[in-house]
Parts: sequence; structure tokens; C-alpha cells
Amino acid sequence: MKVLIIEDEKTLAFEMEKFLKKAFFLCDLAHSFKQGVNKLELNQYDYVLIDLGLPDGDGFELLSKAKKSNPDAAYIILTARGKLEDRVAGLDMGADDYLAKPFFLPELQSRMQAIARRKFKVDEALIPLGNFNIDLQKRFVFFEEEQIELSRKEFDLLSYLLLHKNRVLTRMQLSEHIWGNFVDDDYDSNYIDAHIKNIRKKLNVYAPTEWLETVRGVGYRIKK
Amino acid sequence: MVIELRSNLKLSTKLTLFITGSKLAIVGLFILLLPFLIGQIASNYTNFSLRNQQKKVLQNINKKGIDYYFEGDNSYGSYTMLKDEYIALETVAQTLKLDTIRDTKRIVEQDTIAYRVLSFTFQKNQKTYLLEIGKTTASINLYNDALQRFALYVLIILIALSIIIDLIFTRQLIKPLGQIIKLRLTNSRFPFKKKHGNINTSTQDFKYLDHSLISLMDQINEAFEKEREFTANASHEFMTPISILQNKMENLLTEESASEAVQEHIVDMMKTLERLKKISRSLLLISRIENEQFSKQEEIEPQTLFNEIIEEIGHRLEEKNIQIDIKLSHNKRLGHINHDLLFQLFYNLINNAIKFNKENGRIQISDLLEKGYYTIQVSDSGQGIKAEDIPHVFDRFKKTGHAENAGYGLGLAIVKSIANYLNLKVQVNSIHGEGASFKVIFETEQRMSKSIT
Repeated sequence: MKVLIIEDEKTLAFEMEKFLKKAFFLCDLAHSFKQGVNKLELNQYDYVLIDLGLPDGDGFELLSKAKKSNPDAAYIILTARGKLEDRVAGLDMGADDYLAKPFFLPELQSRMQAIARRKFKVDEALIPLGNFNIDLQKRFVFFEEEQIELSRKEFDLLSYLLLHKNRVLTRMQLSEHIWGNFVDDDYDSNYIDAHIKNIRKKLNVYAPTEWLETVRGVGYRIKK
Repeated sequence: MVIELRSNLKLSTKLTLFITGSKLAIVGLFILLLPFLIGQIASNYTNFSLRNQQKKVLQNINKKGIDYYFEGDNSYGSYTMLKDEYIALETVAQTLKLDTIRDTKRIVEQDTIAYRVLSFTFQKNQKTYLLEIGKTTASINLYNDALQRFALYVLIILIALSIIIDLIFTRQLIKPLGQIIKLRLTNSRFPFKKKHGNINTSTQDFKYLDHSLISLMDQINEAFEKEREFTANASHEFMTPISILQNKMENLLTEESASEAVQEHIVDMMKTLERLKKISRSLLLISRIENEQFSKQEEIEPQTLFNEIIEEIGHRLEEKNIQIDIKLSHNKRLGHINHDLLFQLFYNLINNAIKFNKENGRIQISDLLEKGYYTIQVSDSGQGIKAEDIPHVFDRFKKTGHAENAGYGLGLAIVKSIANYLNLKVQVNSIHGEGASFKVIFETEQRMSKSIT
């Protein structure tokens, strides 16, 4: 999968590239409107990440240009402005998703994967996890033929960890994914722990869940 | 007491009191002086008429000779029928010289009567004559009472008339002041966005006052606007550096070379950064609300809203084993609100109710009609708020709780800006140690009209 990251903050662009590379994406960088337009004319991408606040041009204009040269790509708008109208305008203009800075990198990757499932019809069959099987589309967890009831948030947590398997996710990364970045006055909430405990309790009835690891002082990881 | 009372009066009342008071004082003084004045006038008039009669008598003597009166006798006297006037003429010693008017008593046919007497001596045919013209003092003051009464009535009518005219005039005169107070101060709500109509006045001072108020409000608005802009810009500007730091740390965390100890340090740094991020986001949210970047055209049923909130926050209730009772009996549908903002408002209130609650505590959510307004109340059995802290709970960065669970001090500041934006009123009641209760009052009439049947 080829990704074009159009972001004028070079450090930020490098960090995104570094992270996505580990998830086996091929990344290309553009640091200005002009560079972005050039690269879009020369290459075909699967994903285009556009920062709205480019110094030499409007991100929305770039989006509409890009859609002509790369009609099949998936577009994600990145912005520090975080305005509601930007989000609406971006989605209206055909962007596939919208992320307000600062965002966690696993969140970016999971959004890209969600678009892939939706747009490129990458239909995953049941994903095996220890003795369990997970259906990400229908949001079910099976033990053999039996369906296990998880709450919405518990399933979100499990599938997010699964998507980033073999990578430790911090409680912050997890809670921002589960509860969104809506404003909360607590900064040291360990509510993720309670959910993990519940997941383990529900699944342990059927089979051991040693694949769901607690990494002390850091967070949680699914090991496969 | 009187001074205290007066200091609270309206200007128009004060003017009325002053005008009436000063006029009554003048009238009072005049009434006191009136008998004296009228007496004086009557007395002067009497003297004048005595002199007139003297002139007439002397003219007669000059024309017709002294015998016209004496008729051979050497004295002359004449009374009116009721003895209230008399005239007397007689010869006196050569040396006597008199020209006086004085009050004295005369015995007239066995009656002692008080008279005002003009005594005048004159020479005629080498003889000296004394002319006396008298008028009873009773007759002098005969009309005084009637005159006084008449003067008093006229005066009272005139005073009443002038007070009425003054009142109408002053009322008209200070009317623009009331309009200015109503239009610029009472009816205008900060921030003063709407430019209200002009005040119609020809009084220079009121024009000046009005213009000064308008320019003062503009200045306040400008300062407020600048602060708002600064907050918005500052929190925006923080987002990019926070982004860079956060993403760098995330990548660092996945480095294979990072030991467990290093990873823990990185997570600690991420927690601190998370705090900075949430503060910036909260400030940004406040400035976005203040910049009116949210729609107000949504509707919601409170029950649905609370179900959504409980779904988000339920795990926190479980953690502290807090029992929550939601009793909404009015079946209202709230209109002209923003769903996300109202969600955030009640989320913050409930979050606080959990945060500052004790283990196994309670939270009660109920609705009521207060003064006809639909009101939702969130009460908890937590530690409550100290009385001296209550006025500051909505201030930004004001942390009144215990340090361990204080948060950033922006939760209630957000509640307040949302309430302002959606025209809601939030009231706090708390007894320290026994819990706190927040009332959200939906003060717009149309909210009441929609009811689900």
C-alpha cells in the first residue's frame, strides 16, 4: 500500500512515515502544496494524508486537485484547526476521514485500515485469536460455535489491540480510541484496566487468554 | 434611617420629593408670614386713608372756612353710626404741634374703644386747631381673615399646579436616563454583540452618557475579543508541537532497543503530554463555544441524553460502586440546543459528581419546574463545596477539590461557557461534607412548549 503524506511540519511527517513503515506501508513525503501536487501527478497512491494548514496553498484545494489525478485513493484530512466546519467540508469534498491533531499514530493506522475494509472491500474472514475467533465486521467473538457477549467498548478495545497485534498500546492510546478525543477533565484514568479485566473474565470462562498481555508501566498488547 | 431610605430611591422619586418638599417649605413659610403681611398691608392702607381724609378736611376748611365745621361752636365732632370712625376738630394751645398716627383708646359715649388716631395741628386765623381722625382698630383688621383664607387657597392651587407641571416635566426630562439604563445595561448581556437602537434625547448630558456607555462596551468587547483570540490561537499553536512530541514518543516506545525502564519513562512523559493536550483541547473548546461555532438547532429528550452519558461513564460508577437514580417525570423535549454541548455539560457535571463522591455513594438526577422553567438537577452525596469556594467553582483553572482528583480545573468552566452559549442558567448548592447539587435551568420559554404526549 502506497501512502503520500502531505505535511509541512517535517518532523511530524517523518514520525508518521516511521510508524507506517513498520506496518508495511510504503511512504512518500511532500512538505508543501506544490510538492504535493507534483507527486500526485507523477504517482498513484492508495492513501493520501493531507494537512489542511499548508503554507503555500489551501488543503481543500489540494484535495480537489488530488481527487482528479488519484481518483481511487483514500483521503484523510489532518488538521490542527479542529473546526467543525473543516470536518464537514472535508467529508463533503470526498475525504474518507478526518483526524484532528494531535492524534495517536495507531489511531491513524486503524482509520486507514477501516477505510481499506470499507473502500477496498478487504474482507477479512474470522481472525483466530488463541482458541477464539473474531469477526470484525459483525463484531462477534466466538469460542468454537458459541458466541460470547462483549460490551461495545470491550469489543472496540479487543479489536483495536488485535489490529495492532504484537505492539504495546498505552492506556492513553486505548482510551482515546474508545472514548474519542472529547474533552475529559481526568488525565490519569485507569478505566481501561477495568475493561481489560472484564474481557479476561468473560473469555477465561471458555479458554485461557494468555495472549492478552499486561506490559507493566506501559499498557497492553496482544501477542500472536 | 431616612438617609438610608433616600439613598435607595430612584432619581425621579428623589426629584419629586425634593420639588414637593421645597415648595411645601416655601408655602409653609409664607403661611406663617401671611397674618403679619396682611396686617401690615391693612395698617398701611388705613394710614393712607386717614391721610386722605385729613387732606379732604383741610381742603374744606381752606375753601369754606373753619366755621363750615364749627358752625359758631369752638369744637366739632362727628361719628359714624357704629362708632367705627370719628372726626374731631378743636382749638388748642398755641404751642402744641402734632402730626402723628398712633393706636390709642378713646371714650365715646361711655364705651372705651381702641382707635387708630391721626392727630394733626394746624394754624388758621392766628389760632391753632387740632384735627383728629380715628378709625377703630377692629375695623382695620376686619377683612384680614377673609383675605388670608383667600390668599391661602389661591396659593395652594398654584403650588399644586406647579408641582404637577414640574413632575411631568422632570419625568419627561429624565426619561432618556431610564431608557439608557434599560437598553444599555439591564437588557444587554455580555458579550455586547447586538447594537441596540438609539436613545432619543436632546439633553447633552444624556447623549454624552449614552455615547460613553457604548464606547465603554466596545472597549470591553474588544478586550474580550482579543483574549478570546489569544486563547484560540495559543491552544491551536500548541497542537502542532504536542503532535510532534506525542508521535515521537509513540515511535520511541516501539523501538526494539528501548528497555522496560525506558519505556516506563516514555509513558510517564506521554502522560504529562496528555495533560497538556487535554488542557489545550479544553481551552480550545471554550473558545470555540465562545466563538459560537456550534449549531443551536438540535432537539433532544433528556432521558436519551442521560442514557448516552451513562453508557460513556458507567464504568466509573461501577468502580466506586455509586448508585445513580435518574427520575425524569416531565417528558420534555429540549429544543434549540446543541446535542454535543449539552452532552458535554451534563457529562462534566456527572463526572464531577462521581469524582468527588465517596465509595458506595449516590447520584440523583431529577427534573422539576422551577418558576415555570424546566430544570434538571444533578445532586451527589460527595464531599461538597466549601461556601467560600462556591463563587469560584466556574472559574478557569480553579481547583477546589482535593489535589488527588482535582483534574485541570476546566470541567466547570466548560459547563459555564456551554450554559452561556445555550442560554441556560446553572446554580450550585452545596453543604460542605454533605454533597453538592447543580441545577440547570432552561430559561427560554419555547423550551416549555414542546411536550411529548
